[in-house]
Amino acid sequence: MRLPIVSLGVVLLAFNAVTHASPPAPKVVATIGGEDVFQLLPVGAIPAIDDPEYVSGADAELQMQAEEPVLGVVIGGEARAYSLWQLDAHEIVNDEISGTAIAATW
Amino acid sequence: MVYARTLGSTTYTFQVSGRLWRNSLIMMDRETGTSWSQITGRAIDGRHRGTQLEKLEAIETSWEEWSKAHPETKLLKKSEEVLSSHYQSYFDDPEKLGLFRAQWLAERMPGKALVYGAAIGAHAVAVTEGALDDQVVAALLGDTPVVLARARDGGVRAFVARVEGEEFGLSRNPKTGEVTDAGGSAWDLGSGRCTSGPRSGLRLESVAVTPVYWFAWSGFYPNTQVID
Repeated sequence: MRLPIVSLGVVLLAFNAVTHASPPAPKVVATIGGEDVFQLLPVGAIPAIDDPEYVSGADAELQMQAEEPVLGVVIGGEARAYSLWQLDAHEIVNDEISGTAIAATW
Repeated sequence: MVYARTLGSTTYTFQVSGRLWRNSLIMMDRETGTSWSQITGRAIDGRHRGTQLEKLEAIETSWEEWSKAHPETKLLKKSEEVLSSHYQSYFDDPEKLGLFRAQWLAERMPGKALVYGAAIGAHAVAVTEGALDDQVVAALLGDTPVVLARARDGGVRAFVARVEGEEFGLSRNPKTGEVTDAGGSAWDLGSGRCTSGPRSGLRLESVAVTPVYWFAWSGFYPNTQVID
């Protein structure tokens, strides 16, 4: 059976909040398009990755399991993969591939 | 989702705002504090309000399939061992949806159903996993004919089924897996290129695909078509 892989940078944030040591009560900080914006954690409490480092080949194999889900992107012939298990804790990677600045998000 | 983070001549860096809107992540750029929806890439508040980030083609698949298709791939290095998702219990529990006012059209399918979403402007389609089994799925987004299919690397991609003003359908041979149009041209739905036949060398324009839970997709696109 295929892995259930879902783009959920999304709701994960809510559960980060729940597992946080002393979660602040969700607070409505704005209303946009008739829908509330909830603040669950302080800005940056889930740290985005700004200085990504990479491995490849055998070193990459050592870090990964076959069934581990990845976000994969190819730009200018250069392929890059991000473990989604790793991104659970970061949600955003500010990266650059073949000269294109990208944000990989989960 | 992967976005280009350069607007005009300025490159922005994004952080996690700690905020949710429509049960989904709001990204915030460090330079202006603008709030951006992760699902759509659109700025919903702040200086850039109304600006759209360019969504880049990206897929979600297993490491095994990705590394087979791209043996030269670089992998974001892990600073510590990560052996599973922190959120396994969340993924496994069909009752756990978004925290707040989860809006989904429950009569159409369960909130936790995985769908592949594609949208052009306000026109959207959600295709279920089952509908993609060995098939090319066709949908009309406004005036634009679109096809969705799972490619050999495990990724689901969508393309505009029109080249040089001509619209056409695509079908997959269940035995060989080959995708062809009625005129006998063969298409690679990983790259969108025509690999042989009368349209050889032509390329289909790609449309971004978002793998997402139904409750989140239907919150953004309540009028979405559903193909299941």
